[in-house]
Amino acid sequence: MSTTTALSVTKLRAKYSGEKQLVFNDLTLAIPQGQKLLLLGPSGCGKSTLLQIMSGIVPDAVQMPLHSEHITKPSNWGFVFQDPDTQFCMSYVDEELAFVLENLRIPREQMELLMNEVLNQVQLKLPALHTPIAELSQGMKQRLALAAVLLLKPDVVFLDEPSALLDPEGKLQIWQAIRRTLSNHTVIVVEHHINGILEWFDRVVVFNRQGDIIADDQPKVVFEQHKPFLMQEGIWYPNIWEEHFQALPNSAIAPLLDGVDHRPTLLELENFSIERGGFRLHVDYAAAKQSDWITIIGRNGAGKSTLLYALARLLNSNGSYRILGAEATDDIPDSISYVFQNPELQFIADRIIDEVTHSLQVKHASIEGEATTDQAPESRANHWLHRLLKPKRKNKTAPKEQLIAEASQALEQLHLNVPYERHPYELSIGQKRRLSVLTALVEKRSIILLDEPTFGQDARSTFVMLEWLARLQAAGITIIMVTHDEQIVRRFSTQVWEIDQQMLTVTSRKR
Amino acid sequence: MNNVLNWFTPSYQTWLHRCNPSLKFLILFAIMLFVFFSRALELYIGYIVCLSILLWSSCGFPIRKIALLHIPILFSSLSSGISLTLFGRGNDVLWQWWIIKISSESIHSGILIGTKSLLIGIIGLLLLLTSPPVKLLYSFMQQLRFPAKYAYAFLAGLRLVPFMIEEVQLRRRALRIRRVQRPTGITAVYTTIKLYSIPLIAQAIRRAHRIGIAMVAKQFNQQRTYYYITGFSWHDAAFVIFALACTFVTMLFTAL
Amino acid sequence: MKKLQLVDIVVIIVIGIVFGVIMKFWDDLYSVVKPMLPTLRQLIYGMWFMVGPFAALLIRKPGAALLASLAGASLSAIVGNGFEVLMYGFIQGLGAELVFLAFRYRKYSIAVAGLAGIMSCAGGFLLDLSYGYADLEAWALIVKYGLRVISAFIFTGIFAYYIVQALEKTKVTSLIRPIDDSEIEQLKQ
Ligand SMILES: Nc1ncnc2c1ncn2[C@@H]1O[C@H](COP(=O)(O)OP(=O)(O)OP(=O)(O)O)[C@@H](O)[C@H]1O
Ligand SMILES: Nc1ncnc2c1ncn2[C@@H]1O[C@H](COP(=O)(O)OP(=O)(O)OP(=O)(O)O)[C@@H](O)[C@H]1O
Ligand SMILES: [Mg+2]
Ligand SMILES: [Mg+2]
Repeated sequence: MSTTTALSVTKLRAKYSGEKQLVFNDLTLAIPQGQKLLLLGPSGCGKSTLLQIMSGIVPDAVQMPLHSEHITKPSNWGFVFQDPDTQFCMSYVDEELAFVLENLRIPREQMELLMNEVLNQVQLKLPALHTPIAELSQGMKQRLALAAVLLLKPDVVFLDEPSALLDPEGKLQIWQAIRRTLSNHTVIVVEHHINGILEWFDRVVVFNRQGDIIADDQPKVVFEQHKPFLMQEGIWYPNIWEEHFQALPNSAIAPLLDGVDHRPTLLELENFSIERGGFRLHVDYAAAKQSDWITIIGRNGAGKSTLLYALARLLNSNGSYRILGAEATDDIPDSISYVFQNPELQFIADRIIDEVTHSLQVKHASIEGEATTDQAPESRANHWLHRLLKPKRKNKTAPKEQLIAEASQALEQLHLNVPYERHPYELSIGQKRRLSVLTALVEKRSIILLDEPTFGQDARSTFVMLEWLARLQAAGITIIMVTHDEQIVRRFSTQVWEIDQQMLTVTSRKR
Repeated sequence: MNNVLNWFTPSYQTWLHRCNPSLKFLILFAIMLFVFFSRALELYIGYIVCLSILLWSSCGFPIRKIALLHIPILFSSLSSGISLTLFGRGNDVLWQWWIIKISSESIHSGILIGTKSLLIGIIGLLLLLTSPPVKLLYSFMQQLRFPAKYAYAFLAGLRLVPFMIEEVQLRRRALRIRRVQRPTGITAVYTTIKLYSIPLIAQAIRRAHRIGIAMVAKQFNQQRTYYYITGFSWHDAAFVIFALACTFVTMLFTAL
Repeated sequence: MKKLQLVDIVVIIVIGIVFGVIMKFWDDLYSVVKPMLPTLRQLIYGMWFMVGPFAALLIRKPGAALLASLAGASLSAIVGNGFEVLMYGFIQGLGAELVFLAFRYRKYSIAVAGLAGIMSCAGGFLLDLSYGYADLEAWALIVKYGLRVISAFIFTGIFAYYIVQALEKTKVTSLIRPIDDSEIEQLKQ
């Protein structure tokens, strides 16, 4: 390997403006040309921030107080961002790719050929080049982002969890594409799930929660010699599932189901279908019983999010959809909590703590509401004038301090140890994900719909989340969850709903 | 939103659509400037007649739509004209009541300004109906060396407009999913506006910021090639000749 | 003095376009109000001055007011509000920009924002003179532009200022404002 340094930082100190806590305190890291480097670390330790600093996005495009003795930046680089929704500057697939080609001053005549070629490489199959990016599924967007970087042909490539939202087959394909096309490049990758990709890397750098480097070596050495660190920081390593869950007896994770199933059916779909643009999805029959843990699986763009949208009545559907025995109305059913695939869509408040206290407040109010519904049957037909003059309903049951205490405890449990008055957007992606899941977990409604709740999580947070869900399940709550993680499907689900070719097939799992 | 955008797609393309957008813009802008700083009714009328012929005959839209688009322009020029007639300066008073004073001078300036507004409206319509903004910007960069960073920023902004409308829907979804109660009581309207408007502006800024970062990350380069190419053709010569003829006829008319 | 970066330009232009869209609706409202309330309509005229000072308050960099005002006007122009708005956008933005320049881009108070609005109004007045909108009786002229100045102050000094304050709570401003040098100094220790 050549010894020229492609990029480096010396004694880097950085923090977000207005924060007390430094993200990095005297971090030093040098990366030789051609190296394949994997950065590992718990969610929120600063991996994304570091990539942005090393590429020069900070401070060229993002403001952040920063100081370092020395910094070498690449002149020619490409970046796949962690959030698939925030990395496009055009609204159509062809225009987005063309934007890159224009920057490289490629003549117009060659553009289409190059675009088709690169879309093939990342296995993004589209009806036409001129497809709106907004109509791609999250996983398809991630592929497009990688395609744009491949077109750029940079010397140094930064990949921030490039496969977090991809289906298992997609992960394989993307990594094949990365290996095939980036073999001569300097590549710096952040990825939580490392199964199957490890051998490609020359070097692994591990961070702790404070953003300090705690291990820096060849992959083999790191995973053999530094395992205690990895366990302590909750970082994925091969076989961690087996090690973690061998300690727990199966019954602690899911209630044992005896031969006859007496559980009531909470949710029932019959001859149910959804249309969205040119996309259709059909369900012959599917039902969720109390304490079911249903995983919805399928390729990127299969329609998993679409199905969940329809279940939460955010999209219209045809056919029968019964919930707690009654045909669902157009409003979101009272018994359903929902977690969006994109965590940012979940947020409604200006402070982290308010997100959680709001959910708690709604929960308390609905418990209170249940107790009083018998006395107030006329509530549906209230005149607008009446509504206008009606004083705001005061929440008697839950004093503010109690809510805040309850909320901080919940935040703590999901490892969100950040200043609570921060804005929900001022979190790392993994933290945003946990916060958005948390807002639904604390509501304790009878059905909880989650769209890929564990993406972008380190091992520790994933397990905490799963154990929390298992507790809810044991308490009688039904979980319906979209996931690409085979381990979750295998270890937790009581039913698998697979979407393929616009059809849903149900498989029951006995444990 | 798409309906709104489609509304401005012509039913068929004419030679005017094939003209170079920059050239069209420059010529029309020059006429507008000329008109803006002049005060000759005959000049206005001459241009209105010439440009209307062009607009109604070859802008590629059905007559009904063109007429419909004239309503706001007529409305606005009429009201400018009327208010100047009623309150305008002048000594030769014809009729007076309370604060209203109509003089022959004020009638003149009322008519003048009404016609001028109408003409400028028609000039704008002519460009709007025959050159989509995206094409116009691409042409600005290619033919007028307009700095790419401003053009692309503007393009990005234009593309955000439909998203802003989608954002309202997303926000409504979030509020529904999180069971935020519809505001009630006297302050309901104010609270509702606040519940939507501030987050929507914030979101627009966030999106813009991220687009900016994405542009930097894709190695944005001022020196570039173009995916949508605009050039010149004989249609442009036709347009120049038309504009010159138009001006000539108008000047002749004014001189008479 | 911090120069406008590509990212700033995108943000400012998007702000301009957002306001352009709002101004489009405002324009329709204005046309309706115009013949009904001949003088009071001036009170809603301040909307057209809002975009420049708003952008300046938000971004706090030189050029923000002018660029945002131009972008807003360009949008108005392409949605069919007539070509002349380009000139108005330019001169109004320039008026506002000059005020922030006079305060060396250090002060962003209600008074400065309001003054920027009033200068926009003054710029617009110059164009109105050549257009012919100002051929009014002396009293009508004073009432018209007097009310317009008040409106300018209300929209830029008060509305723009408080909207920016509300936005500060959502923390978007921390993305786009230049960072304090003192924070960098602290890191050096
Ligand atoms: N805009 C912001 N303002 C303040 N703090 C922030 C902001 N963005 C991120 N942080 C904080 O900085 C730290 C590092 O964030 P970063 O996104 O780099 O984490 P990460 O290692 O990439 O995590 P993940 O694996 O979850 O993506 C986190 O603790 C986060 O809370
Ligand atoms: N707004 C939209 N309008 C029209 N079609 C859409 C829209 N959003 C998604 N689609 C299409 O619907 C199909 C299903 O998308 P969906 O987001 O449900 O996929 P998914 O299974 O959740 O994929 P992923 O695992 O990548 O998130 C895709 O083919 C997509 O192109
Ligand atoms: Mg990250
Ligand atoms: Mg999805």
